[in-house]
Amino acid sequence: MKYQELEKTKEYKYGFTTDIESVKAPRGLNKDIIRFISKIKKEPEWMLNWRLKAYARLQSVKEPNWQKPKYPKINYQNLYYYSAPKSVKNKPKNIDEVDPKLIETYAKLGIPLKEQEKLSGIAVDAVFDSVSVATTFKKKLTEKGIIFCPISEAIQKHSDLVKKYLGSVIPITDHYFATLNSAVFTDGSFVYVPEGVRCPMELSTYFRINASQTGQFERTLIIADKGSYVSYLEGCTAPMRDENQLHAANVELVAFDDAEIKYSTVQNWYPGDKDGKGGIYNFVTKRGVCRGKNSKISWTQVETGSAITWKYPSCILQGDNSVGEFYSIAITNNHQKADTGTKMIHLGKNTKSKIISKGISAGHADNTYRGLVDISKNASRARNYTQCDSLLMGNKCGAHTVPYIKNKNSSAIVEHEATTSKINEDQLYYCNQRGLDQEEAVSLIINGFCKEVLQQLPMEFAVEAQKLVDISLEGSVG
Amino acid sequence: MLEIKNLQVSINNKQIIKGLNLTIKPGELHAVMGPNGSGKSTLANVLSGKNGYEISGELNFNGKSLKKIPTEKRAQRGIFLAFQYPLEIPGVNTNNFLKTSLNSIRKAKGEKEIDSLSFLKLVKEKTSELGIDEKILSRQLNVGFSGGEKKKNEILQMKILDPNLSILDETDSGLDIDALRIIAKGVNSSRNKKKSFLVITHYQRLLDYIKPDFVHVLSDGKIVKTGCSELAEEVEKTGYKKLN
Amino acid sequence: MHDFEINFEKINNKKITLKEKEFRNKNLKLFNSLGFPNKRLENWKFTDLKEIIYRNFDQLDVKVAVPNINKINLLKDFDHNYIFLVNGNLHTSNFNHEEKSKIKINSYDNDFNYPTSTNSLICLNHAFAENGYSLEIEKNYKFKKALIIYNFFTKEVKNKILNIKNKIKINENSEIHFVEYTINESKFINNVYEHIVLEKNSKLKSLYIQSNKNEGYFYKFLQNKLHYNSDYLGLIFSSGLKFNKMDIECDLIEKNCKCNILSALFLDKNEHQEIKTRINHLAPNCKSFQNVKKVLCSKSKGVYQGKIYVKDNAQKTDAYQQSKALLLSENAEFDSKPELEIYADDVKCSHGSTSGSVDEDSLYYLMTRGLNRDDAIKLLVKGFLEDVVEFVKSSSIKKFVNSKLEDRINEH
Repeated sequence: MKYQELEKTKEYKYGFTTDIESVKAPRGLNKDIIRFISKIKKEPEWMLNWRLKAYARLQSVKEPNWQKPKYPKINYQNLYYYSAPKSVKNKPKNIDEVDPKLIETYAKLGIPLKEQEKLSGIAVDAVFDSVSVATTFKKKLTEKGIIFCPISEAIQKHSDLVKKYLGSVIPITDHYFATLNSAVFTDGSFVYVPEGVRCPMELSTYFRINASQTGQFERTLIIADKGSYVSYLEGCTAPMRDENQLHAANVELVAFDDAEIKYSTVQNWYPGDKDGKGGIYNFVTKRGVCRGKNSKISWTQVETGSAITWKYPSCILQGDNSVGEFYSIAITNNHQKADTGTKMIHLGKNTKSKIISKGISAGHADNTYRGLVDISKNASRARNYTQCDSLLMGNKCGAHTVPYIKNKNSSAIVEHEATTSKINEDQLYYCNQRGLDQEEAVSLIINGFCKEVLQQLPMEFAVEAQKLVDISLEGSVG
Repeated sequence: MLEIKNLQVSINNKQIIKGLNLTIKPGELHAVMGPNGSGKSTLANVLSGKNGYEISGELNFNGKSLKKIPTEKRAQRGIFLAFQYPLEIPGVNTNNFLKTSLNSIRKAKGEKEIDSLSFLKLVKEKTSELGIDEKILSRQLNVGFSGGEKKKNEILQMKILDPNLSILDETDSGLDIDALRIIAKGVNSSRNKKKSFLVITHYQRLLDYIKPDFVHVLSDGKIVKTGCSELAEEVEKTGYKKLN
Repeated sequence: MHDFEINFEKINNKKITLKEKEFRNKNLKLFNSLGFPNKRLENWKFTDLKEIIYRNFDQLDVKVAVPNINKINLLKDFDHNYIFLVNGNLHTSNFNHEEKSKIKINSYDNDFNYPTSTNSLICLNHAFAENGYSLEIEKNYKFKKALIIYNFFTKEVKNKILNIKNKIKINENSEIHFVEYTINESKFINNVYEHIVLEKNSKLKSLYIQSNKNEGYFYKFLQNKLHYNSDYLGLIFSSGLKFNKMDIECDLIEKNCKCNILSALFLDKNEHQEIKTRINHLAPNCKSFQNVKKVLCSKSKGVYQGKIYVKDNAQKTDAYQQSKALLLSENAEFDSKPELEIYADDVKCSHGSTSGSVDEDSLYYLMTRGLNRDDAIKLLVKGFLEDVVEFVKSSSIKKFVNSKLEDRINEH
């Protein structure tokens, strides 16, 4: 490896590519490509029609342009919309049939698919470019009646459930990227937890973009039936490339009476190099609906990667007494940009929401919290608490807070607080005095700053996320 | 004056008071003692008419049922509650508040509203009588007051509003000896044949300064023992557990 | 009303210089292409002015008559200087308490060097403004008494849209305290563009208040420039208008400036009040503070959009913004957007926004003291607004403000 490349990998350790033969659809976006995707996935006709409807809609909507980070125009006709390792074409029945190259790739990413079953209590669905390559722990979950499989499989095997809920939270007409995803999504995870079942392990999907000039459009659908509980984690990485790659996912969550869904993300897509070249455009639509009473949806995200992160995991609090939570850490360094936050739409009575957002900006980066708290007229005694803290490291970066607060109910209480500051000099001094060097001290303080969010993550992820926070800010102290 | 018969109180389906009987005649001072969680503060809140409680049993004040009477009407009829934790109300000037309050009560009694000059005179008289700094009245209601100042402010309000039944909810907790003396002075100087008091306390300490006519021990929502002031000393020595 | 567009004859028929004609025509063209602002614009996210105007007006005319007024009624609550404006036009001025040589007061001045704006209401103002005043205070002069700016609107302005332009300049080391007092009896739209310059070490206290409830629809764009160590205080008590939006932009262009904007409002019926502030910290070591308090009854709607912008060189900025709303009716609405955009790291910037109903525990406390629910609420409402009223230092003016606020509260 050349020295330069070596330097690069030190910064972003997931930047390697897997040399694997892949099957690709031709470049470009048109009806034939959509038919191609649908056919290769062996989809029923209703699915194809659904996609085509979204495609038709796409022709009449414009790309939004109100976000803070601007990006050059994306040539949608120049992208590949489907790419899959050749060996996955005839889907492997079990883990032993999976291409060793793929298993090796995930092992390098810290996701040992094979040993996984024995090692830890996490069931993993591994998505490589446009397809799911493996799902672990299937048997154990099936015993409990839990469905955890690639969405392409669910479309075939659990057609009724998918048909009923797909697009029920994010309609195909929602906005440009949601519509695009609806037309061309390739894979992602499907989870159904039946009534009264507490999912015995963490469910996890690991997304990997490998092929170049490929857009990744995954779709995740999680349904928690009455009184059930599920915790779901997603992780993402991509190789280092000079081009910008588009990742436009849709995630839909549905929670019925007394159900709880906990959704955690550690997003570490390739952020681009020091000068802002390359990196993933992470334009994701995530939305959950607390449909039943006493239901709860909790989003936790640690966003450290991507050239541009642009997403607002949201909760529609429809059921009475339902609860929505959003915990976020967004770290931007070098030329990274983030515009992220949440929407809490209070419709039901006694609904509660809590938003804790921590933004850290270093280098030339730009970090925006944007959020909406909307208390509708019928949401009696609704309650929201929002806290947004931003930390600036240096004066070439920016931190922005753009909350929208609408209160139409007099018995509701809405509280919002935000601060922007730099690392407290006295705290640094105190740490230095106790023998910590500058970087250690900063790391300690930053981790303290993020603590409220980090502690929301499941154990295994929390450790990983904490490391990621340190790495992301390396070189920004001084 | 006050007659409580088989009072049962619950909040959020949890029963706190489980059949309490208590009669207070004019001129009497009753002390209610009890461990934490025995229902002491609930009793005070129920008597003053706080919302959110489910109540059964009889609750009569001067021969009339209190049950459907809202908080402010009870205050206007002469029930005063000195809070365990007096609230801070920002922006509201203490003097202005007290005058409005006094006039509401006077109006309800059919008396004439007090003019500013006589009010100031009354305030001066009562503050100096209690040895309280008049300045606290020009500040916002309880905002930034120390614990002692808040409690003294409660007693000052009691003196000014001149109620028939004063309920002191753990007014002595967290006070130093000087503040305690001021509180006791406020109560003792108000005692006469017509005024009654219900002093709720955790410790016997306050009762060294205020001699009760009766002492009741409240435990698990019921009065488990009633006696004269010696009972308080007994409780102090042996603790509540022995009495059950 | 369906469509509102003004034809160019309104300008071209006037005897004016070519420069003026070009300026006005250019701006009218811009207005006609943009129209009245609606919710699609970020700055009007919570307020559809276009819809409000179209719903409430069948017709609108930009031509404004200024009638003769012989007798003017002055406030007797406190000694003051005054300028009296009739439908935006300078009628009389009186500076008997001051050294007259230190004060320049003129009618609307013809200045056509404003940059092009994307705000359609400013374009409209540029196209048609003919009325207004220009006030300048010489160096080293401190006003002895307050100045009341009587803003009197007659019934002639009914169904009109007035475009008024004012300029205030306070030179070095000078100080002034003014009260803008609006008296209105018509249903009309008032579109004001006001430009205030504070030179080195100068101080301005301004207070906005209405005499009575009325059918006015007011929009004011206030552009403030603050130079070294200057001190601006804006106090907004303008309850009572049907619609009011104060759009305040403050540029803190030199070090050590202070900029405070506070508001206490009691809104009733279907009144709609919006305050928008944008504080641009462009130089180091400046302080800014905004405190907006609204009490909302009936079907009223309160909006606060506040932005603090800190440029990368504006180190040691200390900026705080808070908005609080008390919703007293189930049909009232409060929307807010407290925004921070910060590019300097050694700063202290924060904001807080809360809305909710009256605290039940406080009510209970007051009621145990014999107050009935209504009186207790009134007391809490007054207490809620008190910390803004506190900023009025003069006791006679404070009394005046309090009596106006109390009128509003008691009317409810």
